[in-house]
Amino acid sequence: MTSLDHGKFTRVTTTFHSLLALDVFALFFTGYSLTFNDELWWLLSLMGGPQSVTALHRAAGFGLIALIGFWATLMITTDTGRSNFREIVPTGDDIKAFIQDVRFALGSADERHPSAKQFAGGDADEVPLLSYIGKGVVFIFAVELFLLTVSGLLIWSKTGLMQYFNTKTAAMGFVVFHGLLGVIMLMGVMFHVFEHGFHPAFYPVEPKAFIPRKLIPETHADGGIEDLTLAPSWSTVSTVMGILTVVGITSVMIASVFDEGYPVPREISVGGGPESLLLTLGINAGIFVLFVGLVLSMYGNLLRVRWERQLEEDRRQPAATDGGQPDDD
Amino acid sequence: MSYQDDLPETSGYSKVSVVISAIVGLALAVVSVWWAAGTAVFYEGLFRVSPTVAGGGVGTDWVVGNTVPWLDFLVALIHAADVLMGLFILLMVFIHWAAFRRLAGRMQGPDERTADAVATDGGETE
Repeated sequence: MTSLDHGKFTRVTTTFHSLLALDVFALFFTGYSLTFNDELWWLLSLMGGPQSVTALHRAAGFGLIALIGFWATLMITTDTGRSNFREIVPTGDDIKAFIQDVRFALGSADERHPSAKQFAGGDADEVPLLSYIGKGVVFIFAVELFLLTVSGLLIWSKTGLMQYFNTKTAAMGFVVFHGLLGVIMLMGVMFHVFEHGFHPAFYPVEPKAFIPRKLIPETHADGGIEDLTLAPSWSTVSTVMGILTVVGITSVMIASVFDEGYPVPREISVGGGPESLLLTLGINAGIFVLFVGLVLSMYGNLLRVRWERQLEEDRRQPAATDGGQPDDD
Repeated sequence: MSYQDDLPETSGYSKVSVVISAIVGLALAVVSVWWAAGTAVFYEGLFRVSPTVAGGGVGTDWVVGNTVPWLDFLVALIHAADVLMGLFILLMVFIHWAAFRRLAGRMQGPDERTADAVATDGGETE
C-alpha cells in the first residue's frame, strides 16, 4: 500500500472481481487442458482426466452464468450501477492516453496521461475511475464472456447439437469455436496479471482491487512517485514475469492457429499441429503466469483482511475503556 | 461493522439489491443450464439409418469434415481475431513494461533506503 493509492471500488465490486477471477481461472485451467491438450496433458491428468475436467468446467460455467446474471441485474437496477455506465464510455482522452503511453514508453513524453495512470498521485478528480486499459478490459471481457457463455451452453449437450445440425462435426466445430474464442481472454488475462501485479509503485498487488473504497480515505494521497522506494525484488521479478507473459501470450497465440484438429477434432481433447518442446514450454509459461495471478488475487484478499483488522484495532482503541471485549475471547 | 460507522459515506449497493441480483443470477444460471442439459439426446437414437459413407451413415461426417459453411467461417474468423488481438495485447505488454521501467527509475532505489533510513515511528526499517 503506497500513499499514492486509494480506494476506487465498493465492497460488492471488489468481492465480485475476486469471485469472477476465481471462476475464470477455474475455467481456464480446465478448458485449456483440453484445447491445448498436447502441451497441458499433465494438467488434465492432475484434475482427474477428461470426464472430471469437463464436469469441473461445467460447474465453473454455471458459476459464471450466475455471476454475469448477478452483475447485469445489479448494474441495471441500482443508481450506483447505472452511474457506472458513464464511467466506462470511451472518450477522446482514452485515445490520447494510448498514444501518450506509446510515446512515454519510447521516451518522447515525460508523463503518462491521466487516463492511463493506475493511481491518483494527488487529486482523485484528475484521474478517471477507469484507465483506458480498464475500459478496454471491461468491454473486451464483457463481449468475450457473453459469447463464451452462449457457445458454452450450445455445446453443453453435444448430442442435442448433433441432432439439430444432423452432423456430429457441427458439435465439435462449436467446441473448437468456443476454445479459440477464449484464447483472446486467456491472453488478455495474462496481460492483466502483468499490468496490475508488476507496476513498480504497487508491486505485487494493487490494494484498490481488493480493499473497498469506504475503508481507504481518498484524502491521504499526496507526494509523488519519487517519494516511494522500489522493492528490492522488483527489478528481477518484473523482468522474469515480463518475459514469461510475452512467451505465454506468443505461445498460446501460435498454438491457437494449429490446435483444432483436421478436419475437425474427434475428441474433446483437441490436438494437432506442432508438438514441439518449445511450444510446450511456452504454453506452460503462460499457465504459470495465470497461476501467479491466482496467487496474487488470494494475496490481495489477505491484505484486505489484515487492513480491516488493523483499521478495526486502530479505531477501537479509544473506545476500549467502555468495557468492550477483545475479539479473541 | 460498527468501527466503520463514522467513515466517510461512499455510494454503494444496498443489501436488498445485492440479494435480488444474486437470486436473478442464480435463477438465470439454473434456467440456462437446465435448457442446455435438456437438449441432450441418447446417442443410440442418433444417426441410425444408412450405415455407409455414401449413405451418410455413422462416421461419414468424420470423413467429410465440417460441412456447415458459416461455422467454418466463424472458426476462421476467430483464428484471425486470436492473432490480431494477440499482437495487440503483446504491444500493450511491451508499452506497459517500458512504462513501468521508466516509472521505477524515478523511484528511490532499494539501496538508498538503507543509507538514510530513519525509522521515525520506532519500527524496523525492513
